[in-house]
Amino acid sequence: MKKKRSHKRKHSSEVNLGFQIAPMIDVVFVILLFFIVQAGDIQVENSHVTQLPGSVETSDAVSLPDEISIVVEDDGQVYLNDEPMDTPEEKNLPQLASTLNGLRESSDATGAKVLVTIYANELARYERVVDVLDALTRAQINNVTFQAGAPE
Amino acid sequence: MAGGGGGGDGEPEFQIAPMIDVLLVLLVFFVMITSAEVLKVDKNLTLPVSPNAKKREPEMAKHEMAVNVRYDAATNKGVLVLDDMVYNDWQEVMPILQESKKRDEKLRVVVRGDAAVPAGEIQRVMTLIGEAGISDIAFASSNK
Repeated sequence: MKKKRSHKRKHSSEVNLGFQIAPMIDVVFVILLFFIVQAGDIQVENSHVTQLPGSVETSDAVSLPDEISIVVEDDGQVYLNDEPMDTPEEKNLPQLASTLNGLRESSDATGAKVLVTIYANELARYERVVDVLDALTRAQINNVTFQAGAPE
Repeated sequence: MAGGGGGGDGEPEFQIAPMIDVLLVLLVFFVMITSAEVLKVDKNLTLPVSPNAKKREPEMAKHEMAVNVRYDAATNKGVLVLDDMVYNDWQEVMPILQESKKRDEKLRVVVRGDAAVPAGEIQRVMTLIGEAGISDIAFASSNK
């Protein structure tokens, strides 16, 4: 059948108005390449999920959690229970993360939960607070609350 | 192979239809992943970078609502943007949040704050969200 058609095409003088597949593939290829290139440097939006204080459901509120306070100062300095951690320039906060991890492990051993309260200075950059949240995620601490102002 | 030119005469037949199928599937795939962010995001702010933040849970996607907090360098304050609307009086957002909470019990508010916004402004937003009776919140961050 195909042979017949090509034979016919050869001899007819009429223009072939059929669907041109080759240019379509060209276009599809270009679009495809565009999206491949774009996908390379796409920014994925992640999130730190938390509960606002005072609204966490109390299923078994028997064990009192060990409370840890983290203070974020306006210059970016982070304090863990009044102890300065890392330098304000350190974005990864390795010291904070490892200390928290140790605390979490020791709390896990005793069966208590770790509760971290972040006291961020009004003028501290939000980015720094997210750095702290990131360190908390690395230390596998999910119980985080926020408090305005300085700790009492 | 199949349909590939046998014998010397005649041009080898290139199967175009399956190739288009494959290409279209690839195309759709890349279109999907580049436009995966369907949340009402604000392109005017730079999210803080946090490589260890959790990926969005797909099952929560339809319960999420974004509250954008842009940074205004002139006043060193945050600018609240909800659904492309700038709110000067933050209290105006409260009924919207309450309404959304009424519609969806599992509502999660995603706070998309600019990296430079003072933490106090984020605290204000959190207070607002808390006052609206919403407890499930998330802080959006970028992976790089």
